[in-house]
Amino acid sequence: MEGNGGNGGRVYVGNLDKSAKKAKQLVMGKLRIGKAVDWATAFSLWPVHLTTSCCGCEFAATWSPRFDAEQHGALPWVGARQTNMILIEGTVTKKMACAVRVTWEQMPSPKFAIAMGACAIDGGIFYNSYNIVRPWEIIPVDVYIPGCPPRPEAVARAIIELQRKIRKQRVVSKWIEEGWRPDKEYVKPKEDPCSWWRG
Amino acid sequence: MDLAQARKIVEEALSGIEARVEEGRGFIEFIVSKENLVEAASRLKKAGFDHVKSLTVVDYKAEGKFKIVYYVSSYLNEDLAGVIVGIGTEVPRDNPKMPTLVYVWRSAEFQEREVFEFFGIDFEDHPDLRLLLLTPQVAEKRPLRKDFIVKEEPIIRTTPPTG
Repeated sequence: MEGNGGNGGRVYVGNLDKSAKKAKQLVMGKLRIGKAVDWATAFSLWPVHLTTSCCGCEFAATWSPRFDAEQHGALPWVGARQTNMILIEGTVTKKMACAVRVTWEQMPSPKFAIAMGACAIDGGIFYNSYNIVRPWEIIPVDVYIPGCPPRPEAVARAIIELQRKIRKQRVVSKWIEEGWRPDKEYVKPKEDPCSWWRG
Repeated sequence: MDLAQARKIVEEALSGIEARVEEGRGFIEFIVSKENLVEAASRLKKAGFDHVKSLTVVDYKAEGKFKIVYYVSSYLNEDLAGVIVGIGTEVPRDNPKMPTLVYVWRSAEFQEREVFEFFGIDFEDHPDLRLLLLTPQVAEKRPLRKDFIVKEEPIIRTTPPTG
Protein backbone atom coordinates (compact mmCIF):
# COMPACT_ATOMS: atom_id res chain seq x y z
CA MET A 1 0.00 0.00 0.00
CA GLU A 2 1.13 3.50 -0.79
CA GLY A 3 1.56 6.06 1.87
CA ASN A 4 1.39 3.75 4.85
CA GLY A 5 4.84 3.47 6.37
CA GLY A 6 6.58 3.82 3.03
CA ASN A 7 7.72 0.94 0.91
CA GLY A 8 6.50 -2.48 1.93
CA GLY A 9 4.27 -1.21 4.74
CA ARG A 10 1.07 -3.16 5.33
CA VAL A 11 -2.16 -2.56 7.13
CA TYR A 12 -4.12 -5.56 8.29
CA VAL A 13 -7.83 -5.02 8.41
CA GLY A 14 -10.14 -7.42 10.19
CA ASN A 15 -12.72 -7.96 12.87
CA LEU A 16 -10.91 -8.06 16.18
CA ASP A 17 -13.82 -9.66 18.04
CA LYS A 18 -14.05 -12.41 15.46
CA SER A 19 -10.36 -13.24 15.57
CA ALA A 20 -10.35 -13.16 19.35
CA LYS A 21 -13.23 -15.62 19.35
CA LYS A 22 -11.37 -17.85 16.94
CA ALA A 23 -8.26 -17.79 19.07
CA LYS A 24 -10.35 -18.61 22.14
CA GLN A 25 -11.97 -21.55 20.39
CA LEU A 26 -8.56 -22.80 19.34
CA VAL A 27 -7.11 -22.57 22.85
CA MET A 28 -10.11 -23.84 24.77
CA GLY A 29 -11.35 -26.35 22.21
CA LYS A 30 -8.53 -27.88 20.21
CA LEU A 31 -5.74 -27.48 22.69
CA ARG A 32 -7.97 -28.31 25.71
CA ILE A 33 -6.27 -26.24 28.31
CA GLY A 34 -9.54 -25.58 30.14
CA LYS A 35 -8.69 -28.13 32.79
CA ALA A 36 -5.36 -26.47 33.41
CA VAL A 37 -7.08 -23.09 33.71
CA ASP A 38 -9.47 -24.49 36.32
CA TRP A 39 -6.64 -26.07 38.22
CA ALA A 40 -4.50 -22.96 38.11
CA THR A 41 -7.29 -20.64 39.22
CA ALA A 42 -8.33 -22.95 42.04
CA PHE A 43 -4.88 -22.68 43.56
CA SER A 44 -4.48 -18.97 43.17
CA LEU A 45 -7.56 -17.54 44.85
CA TRP A 46 -6.32 -14.25 46.14
CA PRO A 47 -8.74 -12.45 48.43
CA VAL A 48 -8.70 -8.69 48.51
CA HIS A 49 -8.04 -6.84 51.76
CA LEU A 50 -11.50 -5.47 52.41
CA THR A 51 -12.41 -5.80 56.05
CA THR A 52 -16.05 -4.92 56.41
CA SER A 53 -16.55 -5.98 60.02
CA CYS A 54 -15.34 -7.83 63.09
CA CYS A 55 -14.92 -11.19 61.32
CA GLY A 56 -11.78 -9.59 59.88
CA CYS A 57 -9.99 -10.75 63.04
CA GLU A 58 -10.75 -14.36 62.14
CA PHE A 59 -9.72 -13.59 58.59
CA ALA A 60 -6.35 -12.43 59.91
CA ALA A 61 -6.06 -15.50 62.12
CA THR A 62 -6.73 -17.76 59.15
CA TRP A 63 -3.62 -16.50 57.41
CA SER A 64 -1.52 -16.51 60.58
CA PRO A 65 1.20 -19.20 60.96
CA ARG A 66 -0.99 -21.47 63.07
CA PHE A 67 -3.73 -22.03 60.49
CA ASP A 68 -1.72 -20.93 57.45
CA ALA A 69 -4.32 -20.59 54.73
CA GLU A 70 -1.55 -19.68 52.34
CA GLN A 71 -0.92 -23.40 51.91
CA HIS A 72 -4.13 -23.48 49.84
CA GLY A 73 -2.67 -20.96 47.44
CA ALA A 74 -4.67 -18.04 48.79
CA LEU A 75 -2.82 -14.86 49.56
CA PRO A 76 -4.54 -11.68 50.75
CA TRP A 77 -3.58 -8.83 48.52
CA VAL A 78 -4.13 -5.10 48.75
CA GLY A 79 -5.03 -4.05 45.23
CA ALA A 80 -8.46 -4.99 43.94
CA ARG A 81 -7.13 -5.24 40.40
CA GLN A 82 -4.65 -7.99 41.28
CA THR A 83 -7.16 -10.21 43.11
CA ASN A 84 -9.88 -12.63 42.11
CA MET A 85 -11.75 -13.35 45.33
CA ILE A 86 -13.61 -11.21 47.81
CA LEU A 87 -14.15 -12.46 51.33
CA ILE A 88 -16.92 -10.48 52.98
CA GLU A 89 -16.26 -10.43 56.70
CA GLY A 90 -19.49 -9.99 58.59
CA THR A 91 -21.93 -7.11 58.51
CA VAL A 92 -22.01 -4.83 55.53
CA THR A 93 -23.24 -1.36 56.45
CA LYS A 94 -24.87 0.89 53.91
CA LYS A 95 -21.73 2.92 53.41
CA MET A 96 -19.54 -0.16 53.20
CA ALA A 97 -21.83 -1.67 50.56
CA CYS A 98 -20.59 1.00 48.19
CA ALA A 99 -16.99 0.02 48.85
CA VAL A 100 -17.81 -3.66 48.35
CA ARG A 101 -19.53 -3.04 45.04
CA VAL A 102 -16.82 -0.71 43.74
CA THR A 103 -14.14 -3.24 44.70
CA TRP A 104 -16.09 -6.04 43.05
CA GLU A 105 -16.43 -4.10 39.83
CA GLN A 106 -12.71 -3.36 39.78
CA MET A 107 -11.69 -7.00 40.12
CA PRO A 108 -10.90 -8.84 36.87
CA SER A 109 -13.03 -11.89 35.94
CA PRO A 110 -13.17 -14.75 36.76
CA LYS A 111 -13.88 -13.69 40.32
CA PHE A 112 -15.54 -15.29 43.33
CA ALA A 113 -17.10 -14.26 46.60
CA ILE A 114 -17.26 -15.91 50.00
CA ALA A 115 -19.60 -14.52 52.67
CA MET A 116 -18.38 -15.07 56.20
CA GLY A 117 -20.36 -14.98 59.42
CA ALA A 118 -24.00 -14.94 60.43
CA CYS A 119 -24.39 -11.27 59.49
CA ALA A 120 -23.38 -11.96 55.93
CA ILE A 121 -26.03 -14.66 55.59
CA ASP A 122 -29.09 -12.81 56.82
CA GLY A 123 -28.11 -9.98 59.10
CA GLY A 124 -27.24 -11.97 62.21
CA ILE A 125 -27.83 -9.96 65.36
CA PHE A 126 -28.38 -6.87 63.22
CA TYR A 127 -31.25 -8.53 61.35
CA ASN A 128 -33.60 -5.58 61.91
CA SER A 129 -31.08 -2.77 61.77
CA TYR A 130 -31.71 0.32 59.70
CA ASN A 131 -28.13 0.54 58.49
CA ILE A 132 -27.20 -2.82 56.97
CA VAL A 133 -27.54 -4.55 53.62
CA ARG A 134 -27.31 -8.25 52.82
CA PRO A 135 -24.16 -9.05 50.84
CA TRP A 136 -26.06 -11.22 48.36
CA GLU A 137 -27.96 -8.13 47.29
CA ILE A 138 -24.69 -6.51 46.27
CA ILE A 139 -22.54 -9.28 44.76
CA PRO A 140 -23.05 -12.96 43.78
CA VAL A 141 -21.87 -15.14 46.67
CA ASP A 142 -20.44 -18.62 46.05
CA VAL A 143 -19.85 -20.01 49.53
CA TYR A 144 -21.39 -19.04 52.86
CA ILE A 145 -19.67 -19.69 56.18
CA PRO A 146 -22.00 -19.74 59.20
CA GLY A 147 -20.78 -18.80 62.65
CA CYS A 148 -20.45 -15.74 64.82
CA PRO A 149 -17.57 -15.49 64.12
CA PRO A 150 -16.57 -18.64 62.19
CA ARG A 151 -13.43 -20.42 63.28
CA PRO A 152 -10.34 -20.04 61.06
CA GLU A 153 -10.68 -23.70 60.14
CA ALA A 154 -14.11 -22.93 58.73
CA VAL A 155 -12.65 -20.18 56.57
CA ALA A 156 -9.98 -22.54 55.27
CA ARG A 157 -12.71 -25.10 54.62
CA ALA A 158 -14.65 -22.54 52.59
CA ILE A 159 -11.60 -21.88 50.42
CA ILE A 160 -11.20 -25.62 49.81
CA GLU A 161 -14.92 -25.87 49.05
CA LEU A 162 -14.60 -23.10 46.50
CA GLN A 163 -11.58 -24.82 44.93
CA ARG A 164 -13.58 -28.03 44.66
CA LYS A 165 -16.47 -26.16 43.07
CA ILE A 166 -14.20 -24.52 40.52
CA ARG A 167 -12.51 -27.79 39.54
CA LYS A 168 -15.58 -30.07 39.57
CA GLN A 169 -18.02 -27.76 37.84
CA ARG A 170 -15.28 -26.32 35.60
CA VAL A 171 -16.50 -22.85 36.43
CA VAL A 172 -13.54 -20.91 35.12
CA SER A 173 -13.05 -22.63 31.78
CA LYS A 174 -16.77 -22.37 31.03
CA TRP A 175 -16.66 -18.73 32.07
CA ILE A 176 -13.88 -18.05 29.60
CA GLU A 177 -15.58 -20.02 26.83
CA GLU A 178 -18.93 -18.32 27.24
CA GLY A 179 -17.65 -14.88 28.06
CA TRP A 180 -19.91 -14.70 31.11
CA ARG A 181 -20.55 -16.96 34.03
CA PRO A 182 -23.07 -19.63 33.04
CA ASP A 183 -23.91 -21.13 36.45
CA LYS A 184 -24.55 -17.91 38.36
CA GLU A 185 -26.84 -15.02 37.76
CA TYR A 186 -25.39 -11.58 37.43
CA VAL A 187 -26.30 -9.60 40.52
CA LYS A 188 -27.20 -6.01 39.99
CA PRO A 189 -28.06 -4.07 43.15
CA LYS A 190 -31.69 -2.97 43.18
CA GLU A 191 -30.75 0.46 44.41
CA ASP A 192 -27.43 2.12 43.82
CA PRO A 193 -25.30 1.49 46.94
CA CYS A 194 -23.21 4.57 46.19
CA SER A 195 -26.11 7.02 45.82
CA TRP A 196 -25.17 8.77 49.08
CA TRP A 197 -21.74 9.42 47.67
CA ARG A 198 -22.63 10.41 44.13
CA GLY A 199 -25.19 12.82 45.49
CA MET B 1 -8.46 12.50 94.03
CA ASP B 2 -11.96 11.19 94.54
CA LEU B 3 -15.26 12.46 93.25
CA ALA B 4 -16.09 14.54 96.33
CA GLN B 5 -12.94 16.60 95.93
CA ALA B 6 -13.59 16.96 92.21
CA ARG B 7 -17.07 18.17 92.99
CA LYS B 8 -15.62 20.90 95.21
CA ILE B 9 -13.28 22.03 92.44
CA VAL B 10 -16.06 22.12 89.87
CA GLU B 11 -18.43 23.94 92.20
CA GLU B 12 -15.75 26.53 92.88
CA ALA B 13 -15.19 26.95 89.17
CA LEU B 14 -18.90 27.25 88.47
CA SER B 15 -19.60 29.78 91.25
CA GLY B 16 -22.26 32.21 90.10
CA ILE B 17 -23.71 29.84 87.52
CA GLU B 18 -26.84 28.04 88.50
CA ALA B 19 -26.29 24.30 88.12
CA ARG B 20 -28.32 21.24 88.99
CA VAL B 21 -26.12 18.47 90.34
CA GLU B 22 -26.95 14.86 89.59
CA GLU B 23 -24.83 12.42 91.47
CA GLY B 24 -24.72 8.67 91.54
CA ARG B 25 -22.27 5.92 92.24
CA GLY B 26 -19.09 6.86 90.43
CA PHE B 27 -20.43 9.74 88.37
CA ILE B 28 -21.38 13.34 88.80
CA GLU B 29 -23.12 15.66 86.36
CA PHE B 30 -23.69 19.38 86.40
CA ILE B 31 -26.70 20.47 84.35
CA VAL B 32 -26.68 24.15 83.47
CA SER B 33 -28.95 26.20 81.26
CA LYS B 34 -28.33 26.45 77.53
CA GLU B 35 -27.25 30.09 77.75
CA ASN B 36 -24.64 29.41 80.43
CA LEU B 37 -23.16 26.28 78.86
CA VAL B 38 -20.25 27.85 76.97
CA GLU B 39 -19.32 30.01 79.96
CA ALA B 40 -19.44 27.03 82.32
CA ALA B 41 -17.40 24.91 79.93
CA SER B 42 -14.66 27.49 79.53
CA ARG B 43 -14.47 27.87 83.31
CA LEU B 44 -14.05 24.11 83.67
CA LYS B 45 -11.31 24.22 81.08
CA LYS B 46 -9.54 26.90 83.09
CA ALA B 47 -9.85 24.65 86.14
CA GLY B 48 -7.87 21.96 84.34
CA PHE B 49 -10.34 19.76 82.49
CA ASP B 50 -8.74 19.72 79.05
CA HIS B 51 -10.62 17.18 76.93
CA VAL B 52 -14.02 15.60 76.30
CA LYS B 53 -14.05 11.87 76.88
CA SER B 54 -17.52 11.25 75.58
CA LEU B 55 -20.73 12.96 74.69
CA THR B 56 -24.06 11.40 75.56
CA VAL B 57 -27.60 12.31 74.72
CA VAL B 58 -30.74 10.97 76.37
CA ASP B 59 -34.08 11.39 74.67
CA TYR B 60 -36.81 12.06 77.27
CA LYS B 61 -39.77 11.74 74.98
CA ALA B 62 -42.50 12.16 77.59
CA GLU B 63 -40.90 15.29 79.05
CA GLY B 64 -40.13 16.63 75.59
CA LYS B 65 -36.45 17.27 76.06
CA PHE B 66 -32.97 16.04 75.25
CA LYS B 67 -30.31 15.89 77.94
CA ILE B 68 -26.82 16.36 76.51
CA VAL B 69 -23.87 15.69 78.78
CA TYR B 70 -20.18 16.20 77.98
CA TYR B 71 -17.93 13.98 80.10
CA VAL B 72 -14.66 15.79 80.62
CA SER B 73 -11.38 14.86 82.22
CA SER B 74 -7.74 15.87 82.15
CA TYR B 75 -4.52 14.66 80.61
CA LEU B 76 -2.12 17.30 81.87
CA ASN B 77 -3.32 17.76 85.44
CA GLU B 78 -2.38 14.57 87.25
CA ASP B 79 -4.78 15.13 90.15
CA LEU B 80 -7.76 15.56 87.88
CA ALA B 81 -6.76 12.74 85.53
CA GLY B 82 -8.41 10.17 87.77
CA VAL B 83 -11.90 11.67 87.72
CA ILE B 84 -14.51 12.25 85.05
CA VAL B 85 -17.20 14.87 85.54
CA GLY B 86 -20.16 15.67 83.37
CA ILE B 87 -21.22 19.12 82.23
CA GLY B 88 -24.44 19.28 80.33
CA THR B 89 -27.62 21.01 79.38
CA GLU B 90 -31.18 20.30 78.34
CA VAL B 91 -32.78 21.40 75.10
CA PRO B 92 -36.44 21.18 74.02
CA ARG B 93 -37.26 18.27 71.80
CA ASP B 94 -39.20 20.14 69.14
CA ASN B 95 -36.49 22.72 68.48
CA PRO B 96 -33.16 21.11 69.43
CA LYS B 97 -30.61 23.88 69.05
CA MET B 98 -27.67 24.48 71.30
CA PRO B 99 -24.29 26.25 71.20
CA THR B 100 -21.29 24.17 70.21
CA LEU B 101 -18.40 23.50 72.57
CA VAL B 102 -15.88 22.83 69.79
CA TYR B 103 -14.13 26.13 70.46
CA VAL B 104 -13.71 25.18 74.12
CA TRP B 105 -12.76 21.52 73.68
CA ARG B 106 -11.59 20.61 70.19
CA SER B 107 -12.11 16.90 70.89
CA ALA B 108 -15.88 17.43 70.93
CA GLU B 109 -16.01 18.06 67.19
CA PHE B 110 -16.61 14.56 65.83
CA GLN B 111 -18.82 13.57 68.75
CA GLU B 112 -21.07 16.53 68.08
CA ARG B 113 -21.26 15.49 64.45
CA GLU B 114 -22.33 12.03 65.51
CA VAL B 115 -24.99 13.42 67.84
CA PHE B 116 -26.19 15.66 65.03
CA GLU B 117 -26.81 12.77 62.68
CA PHE B 118 -28.33 10.35 65.19
CA PHE B 119 -30.53 12.83 67.10
CA GLY B 120 -30.80 15.82 64.80
CA ILE B 121 -29.50 18.25 67.40
CA ASP B 122 -28.27 21.38 65.68
CA PHE B 123 -25.01 22.72 67.11
CA GLU B 124 -24.88 26.41 66.27
CA ASP B 125 -21.53 27.69 64.93
CA HIS B 126 -20.10 24.20 64.60
CA PRO B 127 -17.27 24.47 62.04
CA ASP B 128 -18.09 21.30 60.09
CA LEU B 129 -21.54 19.92 60.80
CA ARG B 130 -21.75 17.16 58.18
CA LEU B 131 -22.90 13.56 58.42
CA LEU B 132 -20.26 11.27 59.83
CA LEU B 133 -21.35 7.62 59.77
CA LEU B 134 -24.78 7.38 58.20
CA THR B 135 -26.04 7.85 54.68
CA PRO B 136 -28.36 10.85 54.18
CA GLN B 137 -31.39 8.60 53.65
CA VAL B 138 -30.89 6.92 57.04
CA ALA B 139 -29.79 10.03 58.89
CA GLU B 140 -32.93 11.98 58.09
CA LYS B 141 -34.93 9.42 60.07
CA ARG B 142 -32.86 10.33 63.19
CA PRO B 143 -32.46 6.69 64.17
CA LEU B 144 -31.59 7.02 67.85
CA ARG B 145 -34.63 9.09 68.79
CA LYS B 146 -37.27 7.30 70.77
CA ASP B 147 -39.92 7.74 68.11
CA PHE B 148 -37.85 5.80 65.58
CA ILE B 149 -39.28 2.31 66.00
CA VAL B 150 -37.11 -0.66 65.10
CA LYS B 151 -39.21 -3.69 64.19
CA GLU B 152 -38.44 -6.48 66.60
CA GLU B 153 -38.74 -10.21 66.36
CA PRO B 154 -41.84 -11.42 68.19
CA ILE B 155 -41.00 -13.25 71.39
CA ILE B 156 -43.35 -16.00 72.47
CA ARG B 157 -43.92 -16.08 76.20
CA THR B 158 -44.06 -19.52 77.75
CA THR B 159 -44.81 -18.32 81.28
CA PRO B 160 -47.26 -15.57 82.29
CA PRO B 161 -45.61 -12.25 83.12
CA THR B 162 -45.00 -11.61 86.79
CA GLY B 163 -45.39 -8.30 88.61
